[in-house]
Amino acid sequence: MPEKLTFDAIVVGAGPAGISAAIVMARSGLKVMLIERGRFAGSKNFFGGVLYTHALADVLPDYWERKPPFERPVTEQGYWFLSPDSVMRVMHKSQHYQKDPAESYTALRSGFDAWFAQQAVSHGALLITKTTVVDGIRDAKGRVIGVRTDRPDGDVYAPIVIVSEGVNNLLTQKLGLMKADLPPRLIALSVKEYIGLPAKEVETRFNLSGAKEGMAIDIFGDATLGLPGTAFLYTDKQGISIGVGLLLEEFVHHKLKPYEVLARFKNHPVIKPYLAGGETLEYGAHLIPEFGYDRMPDLAADGVLVAGDAAGMVDALHREGTNLAMTAGRLAGETAVEAHKRNDFSAGFLKGYRQQLESSFVLKDLKQYRRMTDFLDSTPHFMSTYVNYLNDAALRYFSAHGLPKRDMEDNIIKMLFQRRSFFGVARDMLKLLQGMRG
Amino acid sequence: MSDTKRIWVLIEQEEGKAHPVSWELLGAAQRLAAELPGAVVEGVLLGDGVEGIAAEAYRYGATKVYLIDDPVLNVYRNAPYAYGIANLVKKYTPEIFLVGATTLGRDLASAIATRVATGLTADCTELAIDPDKHILAATRPTFGGNLMATILCKTQRPQMATVRPRVLPSPTPAETGAGELVREPLGMTEADVAVKLLKVIPTDSGEQVDIEYADVIVAGGRGLGAPEGFKLLEELAELLGGVVGASRAVVDAGWINVSRQIGQTGKTVRPKLFIAAGISGAIQHRVGITGSDFILAINSDPNAPIFSVADYGIVGDLYEVLPELINQIKAQRAGHGAPEVAHA
Amino acid sequence: MHAIVAIKQVPDTSNVRINPETGTLIREGVPAIINPYDAHAVELAVRLKRQFGGKVTVITMGPPKASEALVECAEQGADRGILISDRKFSAADTLATSYVLARTIEALMAEGPVDLLLFGKQAIDGDTAQVGPGVATRLGLPLISYAVGVESFDPIARTGVVHRRTERGIEVLQTTLPALLTVEKEIAAIERAPLADVIRAAQYTPEVWSASEPVAFDVAKIGIKGSPTIVGKAYTPPPKKAGAAVKVAEKGVASTVTEALAKVKAAGVVKI
Ligand SMILES: Cc1cc2nc3c(=O)[nH]c(=O)nc-3n(C[C@H](O)[C@H](O)[C@H](O)COP(=O)(O)OP(=O)(O)OC[C@H]3O[C@@H](n4cnc5c(N)ncnc54)[C@H](O)[C@@H]3O)c2cc1C
Ligand SMILES: Cc1cc2nc3c(=O)[nH]c(=O)nc-3n(C[C@H](O)[C@H](O)[C@H](O)COP(=O)(O)OP(=O)(O)OC[C@H]3O[C@@H](n4cnc5c(N)ncnc54)[C@H](O)[C@@H]3O)c2cc1C
Ligand SMILES: Nc1ncnc2c1ncn2[C@@H]1O[C@H](COP(=O)(O)O)[C@@H](O)[C@H]1O
Repeated sequence: MPEKLTFDAIVVGAGPAGISAAIVMARSGLKVMLIERGRFAGSKNFFGGVLYTHALADVLPDYWERKPPFERPVTEQGYWFLSPDSVMRVMHKSQHYQKDPAESYTALRSGFDAWFAQQAVSHGALLITKTTVVDGIRDAKGRVIGVRTDRPDGDVYAPIVIVSEGVNNLLTQKLGLMKADLPPRLIALSVKEYIGLPAKEVETRFNLSGAKEGMAIDIFGDATLGLPGTAFLYTDKQGISIGVGLLLEEFVHHKLKPYEVLARFKNHPVIKPYLAGGETLEYGAHLIPEFGYDRMPDLAADGVLVAGDAAGMVDALHREGTNLAMTAGRLAGETAVEAHKRNDFSAGFLKGYRQQLESSFVLKDLKQYRRMTDFLDSTPHFMSTYVNYLNDAALRYFSAHGLPKRDMEDNIIKMLFQRRSFFGVARDMLKLLQGMRG
Repeated sequence: MSDTKRIWVLIEQEEGKAHPVSWELLGAAQRLAAELPGAVVEGVLLGDGVEGIAAEAYRYGATKVYLIDDPVLNVYRNAPYAYGIANLVKKYTPEIFLVGATTLGRDLASAIATRVATGLTADCTELAIDPDKHILAATRPTFGGNLMATILCKTQRPQMATVRPRVLPSPTPAETGAGELVREPLGMTEADVAVKLLKVIPTDSGEQVDIEYADVIVAGGRGLGAPEGFKLLEELAELLGGVVGASRAVVDAGWINVSRQIGQTGKTVRPKLFIAAGISGAIQHRVGITGSDFILAINSDPNAPIFSVADYGIVGDLYEVLPELINQIKAQRAGHGAPEVAHA
Repeated sequence: MHAIVAIKQVPDTSNVRINPETGTLIREGVPAIINPYDAHAVELAVRLKRQFGGKVTVITMGPPKASEALVECAEQGADRGILISDRKFSAADTLATSYVLARTIEALMAEGPVDLLLFGKQAIDGDTAQVGPGVATRLGLPLISYAVGVESFDPIARTGVVHRRTERGIEVLQTTLPALLTVEKEIAAIERAPLADVIRAAQYTPEVWSASEPVAFDVAKIGIKGSPTIVGKAYTPPPKKAGAAVKVAEKGVASTVTEALAKVKAAGVVKI
């Protein structure tokens, strides 16, 4: 009979949330087991690619000395509004972004997560890879006391388990922390390619002066066939990350294949030249939770805490996720450390984690944008109508030579109401405002 | 004898039958000899009662055959073969020594090279004489066919290489040929050999498919529509002396065994002819097939990415195209002889 | 029973990319794995250990990073891992590699008896299949390459019966021990390691041997000096250009197929 494997804490999933929790707990001297199903941390993970350093610094104050494998600092960012044949660009470049370390960086997760997990190991956490947690272990009173992995003799015990398994939160559901399965209306599916190009090419095409400049662009409109969703294009060291995301339901409803949506986007006359000659080095699809503040699972129960995507902590509007995950992971870790000090792992004590999240940007932001998904859901034409309108209006504006300016302006306004009634526009704007203000 | 440069070829035989790669190598050796002043082409033959094969070797261009004929050599075993040949090498100091990259040849060549402390280039696909240095330039694929490397052996002799069967053309043998037979003793007895062959279980032609090494692969994807579609592919594969492969989509769907899966998470294949039927050609699939000599793709979608790597494409319904293909091949066969893999 | 397994860490060739400008390998971002055949060799060794008792030692010559591969072997159940690593070993061809491995094995044999030496059939980065036979030759031990099964293994009587795959079928061979086997994947299916082994491995640090300690290797026989073969030139095979396509809809199925068949024949790859 093999010996019972026991740790002070178990972390399920080595993404930004889980690794942050592991670092915090290991640093406090807890015996931490960090379990990852991939071959190495990051092997299964990808994102669009912008990482925010504020949350990283909170977890690892000396992160900069530890040489994180970032791609490029983001020194210019903004939005492109695509119509089928035009683009309206709203970009922001500022001296303020030019500092070391910068506020945000583009990154590739296979490298970043592996590095980040290594920091947990150097703090004393035990990282176990190629191992999937298949269920929780509970005692007679229903308290979580460990996890079951898919390995032979694979049970492992700890008084506290931090679940940071990402969007596909099967364990969260098995533990009864989330009542229903995720509805496709509240999950986005994003497909992305990482396209390799020589650094020189990346810099010339995006007008960057060198490796210390980078661009992050979110793209709306025709990129997603006018459906509610977003696309992105970020510059990496030697390549470009490009992707598009739509609510799962849209894929199903419009019978779209994710890859085809991306292929179409890549072929857009505005986008294509940026990618020319590049080689697709990575291709993948990943879910993004958009269930928002109101449908989050319970964040704490007896012996267990949930952090990151597993709890739906994504601010899709600002494409933030990793920073919410790191912050939540850190707070979960701190809560676990405190629980050990008091030897109290009850839901009653662990609920303090949620309160801390409420007073951080994590739940404040999620609360503010709680109606964003609903807004897009109830205003499906929003992207196509207004983005196309913006482009057409710009065309009128810039090419109406010889026409009295007054007439041109009237024309532009009329164009809008030909597409949508006055009240329709008013309603859309009101809803948008509600979505943004919470 | 000092200026004579011997180019040696191992005449590989089992059960008294020469392996055709031996003749391919004799052909190559003659081409090399033409570039190398003072070079002669000679064969090396080991076995038990195999003298008759020497005559064949003369017809393929060997001017001399070194023969070790001994009961210990009745079946191939590494130690006595390597021992015998290493002694020949030490005595006659060949300049170049070519061996077929077969199971036997690769096992043996490495042991010989180690015994005589020389360099050995494995599994070559091209041989040439470097025009400046007058040495063997042996080219081989590495990293799953992603890179070609030309290997030289500057200091040690002989320069050894194993060469893949069927990548070099097979010469037509002369009607008659004569050469000199040089007999040498083995100098080893059965008691010196640690490995004994108890028996051979012949390969059954059943499920033992080795798609990685197949010369012809007929692969199917989701475009087959149903698992029954594979029957059609099997018929075509059989006709061409090939095997059936598959995309991951149909393996995942349970239409066919995972041993047939080709691509990033399946097998990398390098057949001479790859037929892709109803496969879209996703990048994960394509990486597994780009080493193929000729890709024929059949897909109803003209924009399917498989066409970007195909040497020839047919835009159409595979259920129309494949039966027609089978018919036309059968019709042509009725006119000509039996199918065979070309030595080209 | 003591089995020594030689393993190599290799780039996962299904992910290999080549820099088209320099013709060199882009190792960045390409995951390194245990050479697949070697992992099966480790599995066989671990199984024999479970059956007969004893221990499994895994050795590799490679850069410091290769130590990861030894840790993975420890997960599989290996007891000891030795990384033979030194700048002086770099650019070794198979002759120099087999010298280093053979001397290492000799040193281990001096510590106590060894019954079995296991190698992969070939390493997928170079596909040479030369190192195993080279080591057997240097050590003067019986060699069975392309082994697919162990029918019997008797460390007391010091004999074993091994199945070997050749073009004509399966050879059933009897050998004395110690013997050196190079193995195919069928030799032993890889089972998932128990969690406790994975935990133990995560805390295990393999030994590192240098070119001088604890074995003093002959510097003339290692690394680039000990390697008679050199890479004269490396290049990417020219990328395949998409060939023409014919449309059934335009030409009708019969003539489309005739045309395609003619193309296949013209390419001369197979006789139709
Ligand atoms: C296309 C796309 C673009 C994005 N862009 C951005 C961006 O620009 N900026 C940003 O900040 N965020 C972005 N995000 C969001 C961000 O990626 C996530 O919010 C963040 O990764 C969440 O971190 P996490 O640790 O909660 O989960 P993950 O990063 O998903 O990590 C979960 C880990 O758990 C492992 N795991 C899962 N189940 C198990 C199990 N049962 N047992 C063991 N291990 C398990 C997984 O393998 C994985 O490693 C983007 C997401 C996508 C999909
Ligand atoms: C990490 C990862 C690893 C992967 N590894 C592999 C791998 O190793 N191997 C692999 O194959 N895939 C792999 N895939 C999956 C790969 O991305 C594709 O999904 C898969 O190859 C598609 O298989 P398919 O071409 O059979 O199916 P589909 O993409 O559905 O294509 C079917 C094709 O058949 C055509 N068609 C339909 N009907 C007909 C007809 N009557 N006549 C002619 N044509 C017809 C269609 O036009 C279509 O092009 C992997 C994916 C990922 C993400
Ligand atoms: N550097 C190395 N260190 C340890 N073992 C090796 C090394 N190189 C090759 N081998 C072993 O030799 C086998 C054949 O390799 P190769 O001859 O390179 O194809 C591999 O499967 C390994 O078992």
